[in-house]
Amino acid sequence: MRRKFKKKREESEINITPMLDIVFIMLIFFIVTTSFVKEISIDVNRPTKSPIKEQKKSEVISVRISEEGQIFVQDRLISLDAVRANIESNLALKPQASVVVVSDREADAGFLVKVIDQSRMAGASNVSLAAQK
Amino acid sequence: MIRKRRREEEDSEINITPMMDIVFIMLIFFIVTTSFIKETGIDPNRPVAETAIRAEQGNILIAISPNDQIWMNKNQIQLESVRILMEAAHAENPESSVVIVADELASTGVVIDIMDQIRLGGISKVSLSAKEK
Repeated sequence: MRRKFKKKREESEINITPMLDIVFIMLIFFIVTTSFVKEISIDVNRPTKSPIKEQKKSEVISVRISEEGQIFVQDRLISLDAVRANIESNLALKPQASVVVVSDREADAGFLVKVIDQSRMAGASNVSLAAQK
Repeated sequence: MIRKRRREEEDSEINITPMMDIVFIMLIFFIVTTSFIKETGIDPNRPVAETAIRAEQGNILIAISPNDQIWMNKNQIQLESVRILMEAAHAENPESSVVIVADELASTGVVIDIMDQIRLGGISKVSLSAKEK
């Protein structure tokens, strides 16, 4: 009698083997499909509502890139190395200003990224991108 | 004597509870960290930027080749279809963000056009891919 009871009890245990199988299959699936390759990138905004003209001039530091790759910070022609210093000094005058990069459509994207990078290094938190009409 | 033996036998079963714990923790980790990044199909030459950061949520990639072709999900696509694709992606995952992988030699105009189309498609988080120095 005693023995029988014991047997019954053992049988009533939940069999977790199928669950284990499924969990392992899911685990393997996620291990295989997951990719830890994250793109390294810089955030860029588009100027939202108002065109640059309508924004207050005092709040904008404009960086213009011409087709030939010339850079104009506040309409002054400078070289790429000087962008950072120029924006830093402009930001010191108006700390709330946001940088707007106005690029010619034919300029290289690589050059554009370099300019944005320089302005971010100068401490500009909000860099947006506009096209030259 | 018989009883003792029995007990020993029961004890000698492998306890799989800790393994289950670990397997579950791994499973949850992979479910959480996995993000199904769709490859673009081309590997453009990314510009170098020092302030670039790892995009945490960037799961949509749009690549631009040096001659201004747009690639997404291993297909070359037209500028007009970017918006529809973005709308679909936004409906699928409202938190998705886009990384534009532009070649150094791609023209800025295309980058800006794509950014506009992405915004029209309802996704506001856009960043430009770069590589570390």
